[in-house]
Amino acid sequence: MQKLFENEKKAFMTGNEVVAWAALAAKADIMYGYPITPQNEIMHYWTRLAPKFDKKFLQTEDELSAGFTTIGGVMAGRKAFTATAGPGNTLMQEPMSMAEMMRLPTVVVVQQRGGPSTATVIYSQQEVNMTALGGNGEGLRIVYSTSSHQELFDYTIKAFNTAWKYRFPTFVLGDGYQAKMRESLTLYEPESRGINLIEPEPYLGKAGVPGVDRPPAQFRNTFSMEEELYELLMGYVKDYEKIMPEVAEYQSSGVEDADLVIVGHGIVFRAIRAAVDTLRRRGLKVGYFRPVTLRPLSIPQIRELTAGVKKMLVVESAYGQLARLIKEVAYGGTAEMLTMYRPGVGITAEEVEAEAEKILK
Amino acid sequence: MGETTKIVLAGEGGQGVQSVAGIIAEAANEEGRQALYIPNFGVEQRGGVSVAYVQISDSIIGSPKFQTGDIVVALSGRAVRRSSRYVGSNTTFIYDSGIEGVEGELPRNAGMILPIPAIETAKKDFHPRVFNIIIMGAVVGATGVIPLESAKEAVEKKLGYKFEKQPKLRELNFKAMERGVELVAEAAKYQPV
Repeated sequence: MQKLFENEKKAFMTGNEVVAWAALAAKADIMYGYPITPQNEIMHYWTRLAPKFDKKFLQTEDELSAGFTTIGGVMAGRKAFTATAGPGNTLMQEPMSMAEMMRLPTVVVVQQRGGPSTATVIYSQQEVNMTALGGNGEGLRIVYSTSSHQELFDYTIKAFNTAWKYRFPTFVLGDGYQAKMRESLTLYEPESRGINLIEPEPYLGKAGVPGVDRPPAQFRNTFSMEEELYELLMGYVKDYEKIMPEVAEYQSSGVEDADLVIVGHGIVFRAIRAAVDTLRRRGLKVGYFRPVTLRPLSIPQIRELTAGVKKMLVVESAYGQLARLIKEVAYGGTAEMLTMYRPGVGITAEEVEAEAEKILK
Repeated sequence: MGETTKIVLAGEGGQGVQSVAGIIAEAANEEGRQALYIPNFGVEQRGGVSVAYVQISDSIIGSPKFQTGDIVVALSGRAVRRSSRYVGSNTTFIYDSGIEGVEGELPRNAGMILPIPAIETAKKDFHPRVFNIIIMGAVVGATGVIPLESAKEAVEKKLGYKFEKQPKLRELNFKAMERGVELVAEAAKYQPV
């Protein structure tokens, strides 16, 4: 296959375009998709680029089908992915629950829009519950929440490796702003930065006689015995808990001496970082904590934080979806938990700054 | 964090505010600066007011949208009403002087209000199609975020293929941009103190 870029290339493009390039850089084989705003252009760019690099695309009749065909692609040993948003993400949970049951390395890019239901095609952080915890089951999945185009590129590449390494469904959680805005980033060949791309392998149709040359390929999502399910699931849970510290990522600054730590993820983190910078320059003891993975969370770091600081402010473009995840981990900590909820609307640095000032007064 | 220039462009669909915003952001990026451009979108994109948000800075840019612009440009009556919320005491508010019946609705809290006859100038002296290039010149003139030459290069990059076929178009566009810079400078001269 021809090289995408000569090692590195500066670019100025939309987030949706970034995802298509990242999937190519990650050597994804096929995208399955169904259109929904604001992620449509991921499909558009992929279909434009794919034939040049001998990649495939299949448009399905809905998101249920896009999810299940992604599962089929993965089982055939292809690096397969899909992208969706809003009500499409709701439908996507059914196949992703199956991927969780069968430990399949599916990759889904979500560009959050407003909810519930059709709501807005624009922006929100209201798909956190659904993406992090999913349909029926235990939410054994990995969710990266990006905050810039560079991260969208980096983590889309990483998502494929994470999925194929640990065999849990993996998600890149963006939003409509990230999808539609343009900013600069550096595109690169992962290998040029020492990133080894994990080779996919088929689940089905392997060589040899099943049960003789190799274990039989049995991937079930149906059980007749409670105990049978329990035994299998507890094995999964154990695997998941083991990889949590390895997979969990966060970013924090200025928390050591802080009177107030502001917590947020995704694009909202940009507003938080800008607000904290301004407040710090004015001599206020404010820090930030940003989970990069929403699932699993960086549990020890969050516990340490909530045991050490006086006040925490969770800021999100949803009504407590991130806060609920954080509070569960923080249980038993002494920090006072304050919240700033703006479901379905953007949050600016000025608004975060004003809220922090009010708290510190 | 360094100084960030925040620009809001608002107009009717088809007036070209999104392409102007895109070209300015791209030109700034080419200059090695941080740039972020986001269109408003949604159902109102069809037949509604089109708003573009641009930020240019020397350091990391925060949230893609913001509360107060340094420059707010409104190109229709509805756009004046829609964009007034982004005006603060340090904002330069630019609007087309040909818009009728908005006198009473101009954001009086703006630091400076500059009416420019862009629509009329485009029609009379150039061609209606270069209206948005005049606006681009006005933004470049009012903000100084990018040198005029880089703005021209960015237009060349975008429309170069058309200029190749019709070299006259290049001159028309570049002149229109220069005129945009002049219009803002002239309007600023007549600002009541």
